[in-house]
Amino acid sequence: MSSHNVIEDDSALSSADRKLFRIESWLNLAGGLLILAVMLISVVNILGRKFFNTPVPGFIDWLVQAVPLIAFLGIGYCQRLGGHIRMDLVVGRLRRRALWLFELLSIILIAGLTVILIYGSWNHAERAISIGDSTIDINLPTWPVKLAVPVMLVLLLARLALQIWGYWRALSDNATRPIAVPLIEDAAAQAAHEAETVSGMADDNESGNQAQ
Amino acid sequence: MTTIETSLLLAAVLVVLVVGGMRVAFATALIGFVGLFCVFAFDKGQGWERGFITAVKITGQIPHSKMSTHVLGLIPTFILIGYLAYYAGLTKALFEAAKRWVGWLPGGLGVATVFATAGFAAVSGASVATSAVFARIAIPEMLKLGYDKRFAAGVVAAGGTLASLIPPSAILVIYAIIVEASVGHLLLAGFLPGAVSALIYGGLVVMLAKWRTDLGPPVRGFSWGERFQSLPGAFPIVAVVLIIIYCIYFGWGTPTEAGALGAFVVLVMALFKGMKWQQLRGALMESAKLSVMIFTMIWGVLIYVRYLGFADLPGTFADWISSLEQSPMLTLLMILGAYVILGMFMDAIGMLILTLPVTFPAVMALNGGESVTAADSALGMSGTECAIWFGIIVVKMAELCLITPPIGLNCFVVAGVRDDISVQDVFRGASPFFIADVVTVGVLIAFPGIVLWLPRLIIG
Repeated sequence: MSSHNVIEDDSALSSADRKLFRIESWLNLAGGLLILAVMLISVVNILGRKFFNTPVPGFIDWLVQAVPLIAFLGIGYCQRLGGHIRMDLVVGRLRRRALWLFELLSIILIAGLTVILIYGSWNHAERAISIGDSTIDINLPTWPVKLAVPVMLVLLLARLALQIWGYWRALSDNATRPIAVPLIEDAAAQAAHEAETVSGMADDNESGNQAQ
Repeated sequence: MTTIETSLLLAAVLVVLVVGGMRVAFATALIGFVGLFCVFAFDKGQGWERGFITAVKITGQIPHSKMSTHVLGLIPTFILIGYLAYYAGLTKALFEAAKRWVGWLPGGLGVATVFATAGFAAVSGASVATSAVFARIAIPEMLKLGYDKRFAAGVVAAGGTLASLIPPSAILVIYAIIVEASVGHLLLAGFLPGAVSALIYGGLVVMLAKWRTDLGPPVRGFSWGERFQSLPGAFPIVAVVLIIIYCIYFGWGTPTEAGALGAFVVLVMALFKGMKWQQLRGALMESAKLSVMIFTMIWGVLIYVRYLGFADLPGTFADWISSLEQSPMLTLLMILGAYVILGMFMDAIGMLILTLPVTFPAVMALNGGESVTAADSALGMSGTECAIWFGIIVVKMAELCLITPPIGLNCFVVAGVRDDISVQDVFRGASPFFIADVVTVGVLIAFPGIVLWLPRLIIG
């Protein structure tokens, strides 16, 4: 997905935003590759079990380890692009300072929650390390995935810090289109982007290649 | 302040945060945390400091522990199927096959669009994207043959909504996870209502075209040979749906394995059609992002649900609902009416995840509880069956809102693709289908057997 609703320029804020976005994009891609891996391992498991009576050893254990990783690897990427679900019918009608104030307060609350989650999930991971917790079937240690949760949340916190900076700047400058924060799109703009995304996925190779 | 009063106050704060534009996943998690703090600090008398630490520890372990389940692995694979489907050359082939087989009917291209969108939407699972794709494929053909512009746009916008029920359906998986029902039963249950919806849409197009002959002519002249030639191109769609139903019905594999097998078929097809790394990368990035969005909603709401368990708000609401001196069916219809209104302003997945922790126990209580038998129940079905049936009804309601003003995204997307058609025209064109959907929901309420027939064969 493009970053169509986040404006960039040559300021320090935008530069930090782009650097973090590069890391977030790699992590999100890792999440995507993990989805592909889960799909392939599931196919090998079902076909192996049915036709050769040899399922993938510890299949469920691997799957259970993969899902939390998929859930957290792209969490900053999703926040950067404003991808988490919200109801913007009311704030979408606000303009400038009033809008940036609402956005700022909401991000500060999310940042507060993230700090709580980092501590709580770290505690959860620490316990797994200290008791040597492992999975039931093939005894995979559970701590690496448990530890990935607070690590990803720290990256999310970094993203939220940049967004607080961005909205704070927008609030002080009374900006119309601030940088480094996702801008609200109305239904028509969202629809146009949806159509744009899909037009790059044409079913005939000719137009598909043109769109790429 | 009593526990229940606190929970009502926090629910009100949650509504303010959500309406104020806070991301729903984080708003629910935050209120869940505050609620847990109140429970431990005050109700359980741990005091401020210990209560805070306990709440932090419980809140912090939920995201990982609730995500550590293999059933959730199904959601990313279903999403991946959708993104890969665009590259697998399915849309045009499907439209062409539908045109050759049902084009001879009155309003034939409209009927073909309904069945092609139903098939593609089922596999892609994405209503809005399906409307976008078919706005580019079906509308130009319909306009070329002199079809009414509004009618053509309305068919495409409404056709996209058929995505949610026919397997693979990510939204039904989400429902099953939130209410702790069987994913397999839900996926099976969605098939017939999805097919019935498509048939009702098709019938409506035929009726409209018969009533107003200027809406669009039939397309004739295809030989049986040409019809059969068009089938192989549409094969992966049928294959994916059948693989999932077959695997679950005959216990050949888990729903997760069935979904993976379906995704694999579409991936092979997409690679065969020449999908490049950049396109696969794009599909993976989008699948990962959408999965994260859904998973974040799920763990966020489950933090709130953990708190609700302590506060017993759902139980109190359920007691109140079942104590109302009116027929349970009327209460159920009022709950569904509330979903229509909410759906006009909120995304379907967000709306369901946010409301189900409270509405689901209420509906189960209306029917007589989770362990009630069909004979003793108020709505004529057992507790397990009621959970499945309500899932199908509520998901159908959520999709219905994609073609209602003010934010019916499917209509906006069609207008966005076609500069010559205004969004008002699309809304007007889609309005007969909205009425058809209301009729469909009525039929599914009056004849729950349509929903429950397939799952009953397994449940026994």
